[in-house]
Amino acid sequence: MNRIAQGLVLVLLGAAALTATVPTNMYLNWVKPAFGPFLIAAGVTMAVLGVWLVIAELRGEAEEHAHHAHTGDDEAVAEAYVHGGDHGHDHSRAPRVAWLLLLPVLAVFVVAPPALGSYAVQSTASESAAPPRPEGRSGQFDDGLEEAAEGEVVPLELRQFVMRAWIDEDRALAGRTVELTGFAVPADDGEGWYLARLQMACCAADAVVNKVLITDGAVPEADSWWTVRGTWVEPEGELYDVNEHRFTVTELEEVTDPPDPYE
Amino acid sequence: MSERTTPQHTHGGEPPPGDPFVPAREAELPPDDWGRRRGGRRTGTVWLFAALITAMAVGHAWFSDQLTGSAFLTWATIFTAICFQALPFLVFGVALSAALTAFVPTSAYQRFIPRKASRAVPVAGLSGALLPGCECASVPIAGSLIRRGVAPAAALTFLLAAPAINPVVMIATAVAFAGQPEMVLARFAASLLAAVVIGWIWVRFGRTEWLRLPSRPTDPGESKWRVFRESMVHDMMHAGGYLVVGGLAAATINVMVPREWLLTVAGMPVVSVLVLALLAILLSICSEADAFVALSLTDFSPTAKLAFMVVGPIVDLKLIAMQAGVFGWRFVARFVPLCLIVALAATFLIGGLIL
Repeated sequence: MNRIAQGLVLVLLGAAALTATVPTNMYLNWVKPAFGPFLIAAGVTMAVLGVWLVIAELRGEAEEHAHHAHTGDDEAVAEAYVHGGDHGHDHSRAPRVAWLLLLPVLAVFVVAPPALGSYAVQSTASESAAPPRPEGRSGQFDDGLEEAAEGEVVPLELRQFVMRAWIDEDRALAGRTVELTGFAVPADDGEGWYLARLQMACCAADAVVNKVLITDGAVPEADSWWTVRGTWVEPEGELYDVNEHRFTVTELEEVTDPPDPYE
Repeated sequence: MSERTTPQHTHGGEPPPGDPFVPAREAELPPDDWGRRRGGRRTGTVWLFAALITAMAVGHAWFSDQLTGSAFLTWATIFTAICFQALPFLVFGVALSAALTAFVPTSAYQRFIPRKASRAVPVAGLSGALLPGCECASVPIAGSLIRRGVAPAAALTFLLAAPAINPVVMIATAVAFAGQPEMVLARFAASLLAAVVIGWIWVRFGRTEWLRLPSRPTDPGESKWRVFRESMVHDMMHAGGYLVVGGLAAATINVMVPREWLLTVAGMPVVSVLVLALLAILLSICSEADAFVALSLTDFSPTAKLAFMVVGPIVDLKLIAMQAGVFGWRFVARFVPLCLIVALAATFLIGGLIL
């Protein structure tokens, strides 16, 4: 990989990072919103570095490098290095693996990967069966359910809802009307559907599924977004032993402009 | 392809690499038509990229209708997410390492880091707590520390400790495991212990020739900014290329491996720890996020979760690929098994004591 190629790869990579953050919000499909400024900074740094390298190269630093460079077959030289036989090296060239830096560029400009959706939920179905066990953290809810007046509709994130449903031994959720937003995932056995939302700590690779089963009404199309109002179906017996929580819907409305896909 | 060399001290009586005026090199001077050929190749490169950009534009128009396979898109999302999440850390690490190379004189390190390698190791381990970042940042930094004369064992200890015990990671762990301060303590203790022990083992048994560090010859007259730029480009190309390799592997495993089988072993005491350690290696989650994933693996014992958080920042696919890019495969083949064994031992020890 010669130096012009290295410079152009850096420029393209920088352009990809900037395209995903500045004119579009594509990066929200992959990472936390807080990463935005860092991605911009990284994109600018790479683009500047790439341009700087190309300019320097065109100005003729190449001739100097030629003095350092080995001539002849690159492969043979590389082979010699692997076996520790040769010690000189031409630091102006990059290994072939660096071409792979174009893959993220292709991903952004050609594929534009969407946010994770129903496929990811279905393929990780059993892993997401239960949220974190209490382990001394019950009573630590951030959902404002206690503060809300009786009879008031409480908007909850799915994460908060699922946490309540599994952990709250006082069952404060029982009988309360709550409002949840998420996307639809048809259940595997055809009985009803899940309202699901992915919770992300850092990037989509660590996304964790939160979902609730809805059995009344027609099954909506996979990956369509919905805001539902209704109540938690209070399970019998120990909360820990529940496999999945159910939700009775009273009102349901399709969301046309889905928010940040992750919680 | 020719970016390989052996460390400086093995050169013996050979002339120092990179000196452009060593007579032996004159035989290797390029032929007279070099400039023209090079010019031709440069133009060719520019054309190649122009073609690539055109192809991307066409591909975008064509693919956006064709690409509907959910499995592929899920894979693409996770791959892109891993790359772009790591990118700011990588750029930060590469810039810092280039600044260390270009602007900090070698004497500065000798003042701060004990000369004796066995004493430098714990110092390096603890200073890992100062660098906020994940493993993508620490690989190039460790490389530049070794080049600046820091004992390899100390630099490697820093490489292992920094992503595991820095303040950002500790806070993330404390947030994830709220109400379980012993988990944060156990993670800190086990990670630091593992990093220092690995450093000491490397002091005793490690050989410098296993490390393939580009000695990056610098002409005395070369400007510092140029050294900075060269160092940064060099590290971006090596560590960045292998980061993508790691991202490809991790995304594939993330999508392909069903997680059902995890649950079947959750109850077994030792096996469950090994399984989560393996999962940490395969998933290659950034150390700043792994605590949240560990928390979500609810059926596993605290020691198994600890293994996930201790092994992950020390050994994972992304890290292995990046280490191979910066230090070479000969190094990786020895260093990675060592890391894995020591990290597991530290997990069992600290997990047994604290959790």
